[in-house]
Amino acid sequence: MENDEKKYEKVINTLKNLKEVKAPENFEADLRRRINSEKFSKEERKGFWQNIFVPARLIPSLGLIAAAVVVFYVVETNSEDMDNPFLIEPRVRTDLIAVTDYKQLKEEHQNELKKSESLEKEKNVPEPKPNQSELKSSRDERTKGREKDEISDKLTSEQDFAKVQGKTEGTVSVSESTFAAIIDSVQLTVPSEASSDLVAGQRITKEELNFRQVQLSEKEQKVVNELKNQVQNSERPAKYQK
Amino acid sequence: MNKNLRELSDEELILEFQKNNVEAAFEILVQRYKNPLTNFVFRFLGDYTACSDIVQETMIKVFRYKDSYSSVAKFSTWVYTIAGNLARTEYRRQRRRNIFSISDFGEEHKTYDLPDENYRPDVIADSGIKDEIIQKALLKVKESYREAVILRDIQGMSYEEISEILGVNEGTVKSRINRGRAQLQELLKDIYNE
Repeated sequence: MENDEKKYEKVINTLKNLKEVKAPENFEADLRRRINSEKFSKEERKGFWQNIFVPARLIPSLGLIAAAVVVFYVVETNSEDMDNPFLIEPRVRTDLIAVTDYKQLKEEHQNELKKSESLEKEKNVPEPKPNQSELKSSRDERTKGREKDEISDKLTSEQDFAKVQGKTEGTVSVSESTFAAIIDSVQLTVPSEASSDLVAGQRITKEELNFRQVQLSEKEQKVVNELKNQVQNSERPAKYQK
Repeated sequence: MNKNLRELSDEELILEFQKNNVEAAFEILVQRYKNPLTNFVFRFLGDYTACSDIVQETMIKVFRYKDSYSSVAKFSTWVYTIAGNLARTEYRRQRRRNIFSISDFGEEHKTYDLPDENYRPDVIADSGIKDEIIQKALLKVKESYREAVILRDIQGMSYEEISEILGVNEGTVKSRINRGRAQLQELLKDIYNE
């Protein structure tokens, strides 16, 4: 130890002889100021937390909290509940009827027609029978009317569809003014299936047919039979030839 | 009252301040330690403004954390430990700042030793300049050695006190002091050869 101190004697002496560095003159004043400022800030912080929990100060803050709670509930109750669109059931369209058995529907339709016809017949019984031509024309008108109604129904449904399509695809929808004209034009070109369905819907009797019923005498009947035989005979060889 | 307080030891004063909150006791402690602490911190840092701030900060810590002082230890070791910790932190901060400021002008991750013309013997004229040279040499000594050398050779503390302040055993303290002295001797050889 002593050897070391002798070895570094110069260094030790140099360091010991160094001038002592003193603190600045205003050191204590600065320190007092800093301590006081820290004390003040501490008191301020304390005071703040204490002041918050003073009952007199609590009243407005409690009032504010109560008001906030009320506002929250008012806003909450008035707000519309947003339903999840994936959980909402689709609306049932009452204007559309889903048909599974088309034959059954057809039969029901025919039965309804029969009933209505029979009712009309019953009503028409006491009245005098109209002429064949009048009957025919009235039937024609009725059938035409039905056809018209059915076609118009179809067209209205198609028109609705076209309107919807027109909205979505940007096409022009059919206007009401041109609707009547379209019905008339369509009436002339009713598809054969539709006409056959309409015909099948009513039973046509022999009387209602547009045949001229002529009362033939015996002579005239014989002549007609002979002519029939001749026609038949003339057709037979042709068939055999083939 | 003040007369009586002035007669008290450091430990008694701090206990007075702790238990009875006598601020006069604290003021006496400040008067006793302001210069030694300033000297210690300045020799360690080499920056007077920073040194003054650190000593004030040390005193504020003593004031604020007076209850953490244990009467088992000496007051001087406690207050020097606080000052030493603060000084070390400041020194590292300054060193980081210097490294970054030099790196900005040159290549990255390179530190530079600035040439010091003051070591030339013809420049040395008076004791003021000599002090400056010694201070600069001290700053070139390794941080841990420097602290031990200052506490031993400038502050005149015992190895036991230094070991308490630095938190290392006495053997380590002695070793650090010797290494520090050796480095200093090497740095100041021009002055000694004169």
